[in-house]
Amino acid sequence: MTNNKTYILGERALVLEIFQTNLSQHQQNKLFALHAWMREQKVFIDIVPAKTTITGYLMHSQDPEYWLDRLREAWEDIEPEAFQPTVHQIITRYGKSDGPDLDSVASLTGLNPSQVVELHSEQSYQVKFLGFLPGFAYLGDLNPKLHLPRLDTPRTHVPPGSVAIAQDLTAVYPSESPGGWRLIGHTDTVLFNHQLESPSILQPGDVVKFIPSTEGIC
Amino acid sequence: MLTILKSGIQTCIQDLGRSGFRHLGVSQAGVIDTLAAKSANILLNNSPDTAVIEITVGLCKFKFDRPTNFSITGAELGAKLNGKSVATGWRYYAEANDTLTFASSKNGLRAYFAVQGGFNEVTPVMNSLATDVQAGFGGLSGRALQDGDVLPYTQFDPLGSIGAALPDYVNTIRVIPGPHIDLLPKDNQQHLYDQQWQVQPNSNRMGLRVASDIDMSHNLSITSQAVSPGVIQLPPNGQPIVLLNDCQTTGGYPIIAHVIEADLRHLGQLHAGARCQFQIANRPQAQQALDQQQQHLAQLKIAVLHHDKKNI
Repeated sequence: MTNNKTYILGERALVLEIFQTNLSQHQQNKLFALHAWMREQKVFIDIVPAKTTITGYLMHSQDPEYWLDRLREAWEDIEPEAFQPTVHQIITRYGKSDGPDLDSVASLTGLNPSQVVELHSEQSYQVKFLGFLPGFAYLGDLNPKLHLPRLDTPRTHVPPGSVAIAQDLTAVYPSESPGGWRLIGHTDTVLFNHQLESPSILQPGDVVKFIPSTEGIC
Repeated sequence: MLTILKSGIQTCIQDLGRSGFRHLGVSQAGVIDTLAAKSANILLNNSPDTAVIEITVGLCKFKFDRPTNFSITGAELGAKLNGKSVATGWRYYAEANDTLTFASSKNGLRAYFAVQGGFNEVTPVMNSLATDVQAGFGGLSGRALQDGDVLPYTQFDPLGSIGAALPDYVNTIRVIPGPHIDLLPKDNQQHLYDQQWQVQPNSNRMGLRVASDIDMSHNLSITSQAVSPGVIQLPPNGQPIVLLNDCQTTGGYPIIAHVIEADLRHLGQLHAGARCQFQIANRPQAQQALDQQQQHLAQLKIAVLHHDKKNI
């Protein structure tokens, strides 16, 4: 049994919080299975997973306590196997102008640039949640050897498609924005297109693998 | 069509906002004052979610190219039709070549301007016409309106004037305590409710930043979680941010309170330098306040229908 709590935020946001810094894969998949269960109830206008929480916004403010109880029961009963992720491959050019921070990441971590590329691209990541910008997916968990804090001074313009790392996460900037993550590569994959019916390629729980482009290896 | 002769400080197309895409990082956007926007539409027999123009500060000028009925709600920003004052909360008729101007006011910040039938040829993005200026989509080309923009609309016969006062705007904002208020020292918890808070100039549609003389700075850290308009965050500098419609979908500052839905409308009228207080409320009170607003809209709808039937 995990240590967790549920509460109502404001009038109609229901929150389930798991008291742990990082979720185990088992808990993570349970959370995505709960996301699917919540969608099926058809009472939530929006359902937002985050690192250790999931928040459901009720369509109406009537009876939030009833749905809070149902949410709590569902979390206890749900099986992580109910969740089957979609897998994406993202072709990435690492280093040089595509990844202006690759060399500094290498020197700060005591690795050489091709080791950084190897560590970043050898594993799969899961979309923990999206936020910050439309289509900005927080991907984890990054290899501990690559953990670095954000830049002291964020860039005012990060180009769309930038592949970046910060702390235990990696991400792709879907659009141009300011940003403090370290840029190690670039992809031409368009991650967010507001004109599409399903505007974001990456959905919570999806699995992502970065594939180094053969023309782009350092 | 409606020509924007002067776009002012920030004038944009908004509806009731975008929903169903928050899990992809897509903000709600939409009108800050839903009661005003819905009233503007009800006055014109429009569906309540029809897109309207949200005017911030004022200082703008529009020109009609064909006759239609229009309405103005929200703050009193000195609106004039061909130089003659028009009242907030009322419906009027404009002829071709009429101009509608907005001045500005010390007492309010946002007005809503709707035309009968809404604006044509504006394409919904993710089921909404709301302008998301941060993300750059929705409304007209994903941006605030600019001088020279045109918005097509349909010609209508006069319906006659009708209007009703909306409940007054106040600066006492009712809030429900948030999940992290208990992490603050007891004294600071009380400060949220006993201080006069002053709205800071760096406030915008993403959030209303407020400050007081009391030091509420802290070094608490919480894990990012979903946030939405009305959430009051307390960043480490101790100056609360009341999130508004263009806020991000997740945030990592402690959530100390949540503005009740019925009082969100007041937030949109607080300009830089204005003062406000937060008053603790519970969920039944919040529900009651929301029910009252629904009743107000229902009564307005009946009055408009009755008036228009009589005049056919």
